[in-house]
Amino acid sequence: MKRKFFALFIVMLAFGTCSVTLLAQGPEESKSVPLSQVVRLNRAPVNKEILRVKLPRPREVKLDNGLDILVLERHKLPTVAFMLWIKTGALEDPRELPGLAGFTADMLREGTTHRSSAQIAKDVDDIGASLSASAGFGSNRSNVTASGLVENTDRILELMSDVVLNPTFPDDELAKFKKRELADLQQMRSDPSFLARERFYSVLYGDFPASEVAPTPESVNNVTRADLDRFHGEYYAPNNAILGVAGDVDYDSIVPLIKKYFGGWKNHPVSDPTLPPLPKPAAAKVVLVDRPDSVQTNILAGNQALRRNDPDYVPLVVTNHILGGGPAARLFLDLREEKGYTYGAYSSMMPDVYPGPWFASTEVRTKVTDGSMQALMDEFRKIRDEDVPEKELDESRRAIVSSFALSLESPTTLLRSWLTVDYYKLPQDYWDQYPEEVAKVTPQLVKETAQKYIDLDHLQVVCVGSGKDIKDVLKKYGPIEVYDTNGKRIE
Amino acid sequence: MKRYRAGTLLLASVLLLAQALAAAELRVPHLNFTDQRLGNGLRVIIAPDHTAPVFAISVTYNVGSHSERPGRTGFAHLFEHMMFQGSKNVGKGEHMILIENNGGDMNGTTNEDRTNYFEMLPKNQLDLALFLESDRMRSLAVNLANLNNQRNAVQEERRLGIDNQPYGKAYLEIDNLAYDNFAYKHSVIGSMADLNAATVSDVQDFFRIYYAPNNAVLTLVGDLDPAEALESVKKYFGDIPSQPAPPRPDLTEPEHYGQRRETMMDPLARLPMVLMAFHTPPGNTADNYALQVLASILSTGESSRLYQHLVKEKQLATSVEVQADARTGDSLFYLLAMPRPGVKPEEVEQAIEDEIAAIKKDGVTDAEMEKARAQFRRQQIQERQSDLFTAIRIGEYAVKFNDPDLINTIFDKFNAVTAAQVKEVAEKYLIPPQQAVVIDLPAQQETTAASR
Repeated sequence: MKRKFFALFIVMLAFGTCSVTLLAQGPEESKSVPLSQVVRLNRAPVNKEILRVKLPRPREVKLDNGLDILVLERHKLPTVAFMLWIKTGALEDPRELPGLAGFTADMLREGTTHRSSAQIAKDVDDIGASLSASAGFGSNRSNVTASGLVENTDRILELMSDVVLNPTFPDDELAKFKKRELADLQQMRSDPSFLARERFYSVLYGDFPASEVAPTPESVNNVTRADLDRFHGEYYAPNNAILGVAGDVDYDSIVPLIKKYFGGWKNHPVSDPTLPPLPKPAAAKVVLVDRPDSVQTNILAGNQALRRNDPDYVPLVVTNHILGGGPAARLFLDLREEKGYTYGAYSSMMPDVYPGPWFASTEVRTKVTDGSMQALMDEFRKIRDEDVPEKELDESRRAIVSSFALSLESPTTLLRSWLTVDYYKLPQDYWDQYPEEVAKVTPQLVKETAQKYIDLDHLQVVCVGSGKDIKDVLKKYGPIEVYDTNGKRIE
Repeated sequence: MKRYRAGTLLLASVLLLAQALAAAELRVPHLNFTDQRLGNGLRVIIAPDHTAPVFAISVTYNVGSHSERPGRTGFAHLFEHMMFQGSKNVGKGEHMILIENNGGDMNGTTNEDRTNYFEMLPKNQLDLALFLESDRMRSLAVNLANLNNQRNAVQEERRLGIDNQPYGKAYLEIDNLAYDNFAYKHSVIGSMADLNAATVSDVQDFFRIYYAPNNAVLTLVGDLDPAEALESVKKYFGDIPSQPAPPRPDLTEPEHYGQRRETMMDPLARLPMVLMAFHTPPGNTADNYALQVLASILSTGESSRLYQHLVKEKQLATSVEVQADARTGDSLFYLLAMPRPGVKPEEVEQAIEDEIAAIKKDGVTDAEMEKARAQFRRQQIQERQSDLFTAIRIGEYAVKFNDPDLINTIFDKFNAVTAAQVKEVAEKYLIPPQQAVVIDLPAQQETTAASR
């Protein structure tokens, strides 16, 4: 949260052509704007050969205490990055304490048996390193990452192990943390994309813990040091974690160093996740969050989709790529390049250990809310009802496979790919097989995948905008529920 | 005597060696590049990097919002969008499709001082990138339908980033209040009225005046052979005619005589924000580097002064950020703070003033200087992981400061700043006549708690 406002501050200094983000009275508007068709001349020289690359593999080892270690040597620059994935996160938050996994992660840096909060900050900053921890909502993972220059590897690893193994969650720091967190909760409510996300996850997941996207003022007020100690004690165990390292290190010297700082981490049995059953998808509807001073409508439309290890994952990656995966996909070309309704329109999927959502999102000026809803629904129907032209599918498959080359550049991106394989228990040759899996997707499979995962009977549409201007328009798209910006249902 | 002298020499050379080693350690790895101009004036910079089978290209044009005239604010950026709307041999939107479908990334960005266009692709697609960039530099195609369409897209970009966000207008107002010279006074995104006023002939004029090879720098970084790559660049760009040198705006800021301040009511905000800015010298000057060190000491990392004092100890703010920008002309030193609920903005403003006063009085410590250097050096090295980031930065250094080698030397300039200079620049520039303050207040005090 602290970073969010600065990020916005930076964004305003440079305006770009497009940005990939997660997240009305059409007829007269479209009359006044002549149609601006996308045109393909096909004169540019394209190298037809797809550059085949193989993702370099990490070497793996397990410490006696059960900690899995992945070492990926990348020697371009003298940097190093460590990523620790604890396999328990926000999905295990107690119902009455949403945010507990996040609070625990946030508080790791606020004091250990060896260091005060200020000392940790000083020791990290003095060597220009980074050390952060988080546990995002909708995921069952807590992440600790530490990085810096390779000359400081020993110090970085020591600091990281100190905050992971020995946090004390001091009461005075917890009290300060709560005040900052309560302010952040207020700030979030002024952000339309937060309001959209909050309502969307709530209507998709009901009583399942993925419905949470933020702590509540009550959970912030009520959380105690004992709660943090308990979460840390139960789940921060070496046998419940994977530690990856990527950078200018070599296997033979980094493993002993990791052993030195994480070898003494005591293991103990960790109970399996206790996730409740998923709610049955609700019938399609529209949820309006009335934000009276909005000049745009934020639209977020989607449904429950699939797990990361689902065999339909790759077909849905291709299907989603065609529909809304970037600035060459149908949603962007239609809503922005042809109709001029928005700065961007995309679709995304968030597969996880539970069936994470698939959704489309865009932000449009209030006046074209109707036109934009119509365009989105038309695109959803088109990809479900019509065969994708062979050429378009071929381009999409080519795009996905070719972009592999770009992922070779960043050590941390590569490392994350391999942590994903371990965390979701995918086959060890997963990334070697991936291009073949992408190549196997046929027009028929795209259609079937769209029909299965772009579920119009259960599509939940959340719109954040000026209620007086868009409420009547939205009624055309399904039964409507209305909320205020405090999250309270008003209609 | 002789013996003694030999000993002294030996000791001296050991010391020199140790110093040389220490100095060598405190550097960033050197990046080799070639730097030449084609006959038409296009500056071409090529830096090979064979660690991944990819390359990045950045074409940086020496034009930004500072070249806009009154009545056409936002035009440089609107124009940037038009560069994706087709040229003689590339259809509307086809550029994005071609890059995406071949596994690449692309974008264009505009700020006050420059406009850039960039792509990142697998190494076997160099011809594609050069073709696309040269075709639009040579033969941009413009029509009213495409202009209207992108005018709409840009207006949505403004709504998304400014008009529909808390604090959005305050971010624009601080520059408006701080500057008298129109060049930097108006926003990069522009006003809705000015965006509506732009015509097809404005687009054509802007293209002719600014989008010439002699007003651009092409940077290639990645898995390529510099000699072969240069031949390809010549093939695609060599015959694009040069144009008369474009006019350069006068960036001189008139003298200021007192603090400026403004309070804004923000219907979208729930908590107030304090934003201030001080005028500083342009980027790539000794004083500007010293101000960047100062910004780092004030707010980089959780051990920084403002975080420790305002957020942690006094608990007046929930976040603080300081940024020293480095424009080609008169620049700004920004400070931003979010007061904690219940804390008056004046208290936060006073606390920031107290921190500035403390630096003017006692300066900064050697330990803080060392920390700032370590953080800056790490950041410089980290950013070099990305060929694209490297290409963008080289292009920017070349266009803004005529010095692409800053990619190698900027750390040395930062490293050379002394604690005494940091104190001096605080005394010299962080003073009321150079200052603008914007307080953004929630227009309505809403009830706080979220219920669900």
